[in-house]
Amino acid sequence: MAADCIVLGASHNGLAAAATLAAGGRRVVVIEPRDVVGGLCAGEEFHPGYRTTGLLHDSETLLTDLVGPLDLPARGLGLREPPRLLVPRLEASGVVLSNSGGDLAKVSPADAHAWGRRRKFLDKVRPFLRKQLLAPTPAIDSGAALGPLARRAVGLRRLGRKDMMELLRIAPTCVDDWLGEWFESPLVRAALAAPALTGTWMGPRSPGSTAALLVREALSGREAAGGPAALVAALERTCLSYRVKIRTGEAGARIRVEGGRARGVELASGEYISANVIFSAHDPKTTLLKLVPPGTLPLKIEETVGQIRTRGLTAKVHLALDGPLEFTCRPGERFERIRVGEHPLDLERAFDNAKYRRLPAEHPPMDIRVPTVSDPSLAPDGGHVVSILLHGIPYHLDAGWSDETRASLGEKTLASLERYCPKLRDQLVGMEVLTPADIEARYGVDSGQVYHAEHALDQLWIARPTFGMADHASPIEGLYLSGAGSHPSGGVTCGPGVLAARRVLEA
Amino acid sequence: MSAANGKANDYDAVIIGGGHNGLAAAAYLAKAGRKVVVLERRHVLGGAAVSEEIYPGFTYSVCSYVVSLLRPWIIRDLNLTKHGLHLIPLECSFLPLPDGRSLARWPDANRTRDEISQFSVADAEMYGVFGMHVGKLARFAKNVIDKPAPDPTSFDPAQLSQLLNMGKQLRGLSDDLLALQYKLMTMSAVDFLDEWFESDVLKGPMSVSGIIGTMLGVRSPGTAYVLLHHYMGEIDGSSRAWGLSKGGTGQVSMAIARSAEAFGAEIRTEAPVAKILMKKGQACGVVLENGDEIKAKVVVSGCEPRLTFLKLLGEEHLDDDFTASLKRYKLRGSSGKVNLAVDRLPNFTSRPGDGPWLRGDIAIAPGIDYLERAYDEAKYGDFSSRPYLNVVIPSLMDPSVAPPGKHVISCFVQYAPYHIKEGPEFWPQRREAFGDAVVDTLAEYCPGLKESILHRQVLTPWDLEQEFGLTEGNIFHGELTPDQLLFQRPVSGWARYKTPVKGLWLCGSGAHPGGGIMGGPGGLAAKEMLKRGVI
Repeated sequence: MAADCIVLGASHNGLAAAATLAAGGRRVVVIEPRDVVGGLCAGEEFHPGYRTTGLLHDSETLLTDLVGPLDLPARGLGLREPPRLLVPRLEASGVVLSNSGGDLAKVSPADAHAWGRRRKFLDKVRPFLRKQLLAPTPAIDSGAALGPLARRAVGLRRLGRKDMMELLRIAPTCVDDWLGEWFESPLVRAALAAPALTGTWMGPRSPGSTAALLVREALSGREAAGGPAALVAALERTCLSYRVKIRTGEAGARIRVEGGRARGVELASGEYISANVIFSAHDPKTTLLKLVPPGTLPLKIEETVGQIRTRGLTAKVHLALDGPLEFTCRPGERFERIRVGEHPLDLERAFDNAKYRRLPAEHPPMDIRVPTVSDPSLAPDGGHVVSILLHGIPYHLDAGWSDETRASLGEKTLASLERYCPKLRDQLVGMEVLTPADIEARYGVDSGQVYHAEHALDQLWIARPTFGMADHASPIEGLYLSGAGSHPSGGVTCGPGVLAARRVLEA
Repeated sequence: MSAANGKANDYDAVIIGGGHNGLAAAAYLAKAGRKVVVLERRHVLGGAAVSEEIYPGFTYSVCSYVVSLLRPWIIRDLNLTKHGLHLIPLECSFLPLPDGRSLARWPDANRTRDEISQFSVADAEMYGVFGMHVGKLARFAKNVIDKPAPDPTSFDPAQLSQLLNMGKQLRGLSDDLLALQYKLMTMSAVDFLDEWFESDVLKGPMSVSGIIGTMLGVRSPGTAYVLLHHYMGEIDGSSRAWGLSKGGTGQVSMAIARSAEAFGAEIRTEAPVAKILMKKGQACGVVLENGDEIKAKVVVSGCEPRLTFLKLLGEEHLDDDFTASLKRYKLRGSSGKVNLAVDRLPNFTSRPGDGPWLRGDIAIAPGIDYLERAYDEAKYGDFSSRPYLNVVIPSLMDPSVAPPGKHVISCFVQYAPYHIKEGPEFWPQRREAFGDAVVDTLAEYCPGLKESILHRQVLTPWDLEQEFGLTEGNIFHGELTPDQLLFQRPVSGWARYKTPVKGLWLCGSGAHPGGGIMGGPGGLAAKEMLKRGVI
């Protein structure tokens, strides 16, 4: 069999690459190891009748400008403003945040005012940041390649001296310090810091976490109604309409390299598919160290790839409830997004445990979605799905991941949420706990790193996933990196997929 | 002395603070024929680079205790050797371990390789390669610290051409070095070292150079670049060596002071400045605590920036943005100092007796987790119960600082956060407990230490602030983190010693290139003033 392009991995990035290529007239085959498409965005049944909207449950970083040409709305994708966010407190009513500030003024009038000022600042720098993130990035393979970057630096100057200085000042700082410059309420600081940490190996006191937050803020806009799973469904429909062949259940596929060039993909069955260009939406370590034959890469490059930091720090807990999640601090109200963690230092302590390779001490902070609030079809009548992302759970655990440590993590999560929702255990009908090791095993991402390569100043932009590969071209001719580990960002963006595909189409 | 318009000035420049940077600025200005006076609050010169006989017969380098980055051009320009500067290189970096093993790194590469190979043969081989790579970058960095910091937003042709030159040098770097430079500026010391080495024993003492004086841990991103400093030391031209000043670090300051005086500068001690005088929106002198006024064309402050502007000058003379920047300028001191007078040499279990390994710096840094735990305690408002220590026994190399047979032990201690949870003003109540933690820690490696102690001086960050004017006890007048370096030190756009207040200049460690016994800020500030023709 032959194709113009093969895309390895039917994640949202893989499908976005495939759709873009097919829309550009290429014959595309997508090879997915699992039986379902979507990767970390796949909606899955974790308890009879209960479905998730993806392991990653936020989709507000979807780069609508990049997927615009695919006309996803015509394939059934709805876009909406992210729902309001509840940040509960044990001793008080907590706060509800939305783009306009929610009821922040009740907690702190000063913070409500700061909210507006901070939004203004973000609105001012967002166009510049987006421009950097949405544009292809050069691979820096020698000092001479700095030329184009210097020209972009001139763009930075156009931003205005004051804002430019401010960006340069804050990017390397820690998110707790930066948010502390705006807000007095620890509750608000904790809630706003949390998204900066996903996909990093950092706590809110880690310098450089502000840069991660700025990336997130710059990418954020409207989200997919129905979550990442709905996005994947729309991408899949688009692919099919362009006659992309999606082959699921193809575990064990390997890239064939001949004469220094990627020529095709060998399936476990022995079948061989040749192609002019191969894209991998798998993480860069898996792609370059496992999917290509050993000895293909020069030792030095292999070393560099091995040094890409991919320490997983994310665990996932899914709860199946037979009733709605009821918060003591907001009786009768339904919330779709909740962040638990009352102080930035609670988030920091969670990270501390990870540094010493141990389980959270107690009451881990949580990033929660309850997708059934807007889509009851994900659960049986009256039931609810609670999707919980935990940050600060180490892939490398001294005690090792086992049924016991997994159960202990689940128990701690329940205990943490139960403090705010006392009826929780009575409502619980089913539960799934995915440790970083489980995430690696199920989804094939190295070390369970959900963003494929840690977000950090030295692994973003011209250095993502590493110097010399930021333009999506791998060191092997004909092989391109189109997964979350590539520019511009991890998370649900479709950016790496579309940018990698365009690079080849425009060549 | 007296201007053409008849306005009488006592001096061309009045310099606040007789620290080594203030003295260096004075020396350069005096050398250029300007009339200069230095005003020091304490009875001794040197600021934090000071030696004092706190206990009879024993001279402590009270705060700062090693010299490395003292700029060679300053030594030359100011004839410091003639004025008594004598630097003694440290012979070794010694790391005792709690399990009885130890690692010593020597100037001799072969000897170091043998030592490291006890722990990892791969690391032993890599150590030299690493030094070569980082050494190349250190040479690049040296250029940066020996010139005023160019401002990337400026349209001033001189600064643009300086930037262009730096760019050209960067372009000349190979892809490897370019990536390395970028990583060095952004990564944590541990992540950076992880790419090269496997042994925790080696990475522990190597990583700590990244955290000195900051409220960060070895795993905090942005700490890697300070590793460069270790490769930038230059004494008598031999790269990388750190050294002691004969007679204590105060002698560095004294040599600069003697040079300044020889050039005609006037230096007054016990002359605390109360306020900077303003006239028509311009700094025109200072008023001392005793009420005396000293008029000058320019006022040059060697004090920390926040102290200079918010206390000595006053917010009313500043715009809101500048004030806000100063208020969020990160000082948060994280270290303390314990000086001991002992009646015998400490005896390390891991290498007993006297030996060359004691004639260097001794690190208590047994592993990354140990260092990170020490940081975590500080993060939540405690001093480290088991801190990182950098210990030097200066009396071994310089017998003049202690009576025969007796010794001085200098312990730099991190972490001692200024902001303890009780509040910094409670430090005096915790001072002795802190001292105990330090002595207990060291005694675990050299039993018998406690019995040998004749005198103990404990300096908490609170003491550093009260006694030496180091705001929040920060030894570098502000953290040396990427957001507070180069053109952002101390405030974005005001890194070239000039300030928004006409007639007021900065010359202390809070200005580029920052803290340490470098003399850079003082020397560069004076040169910049002369070049701009302000005096």
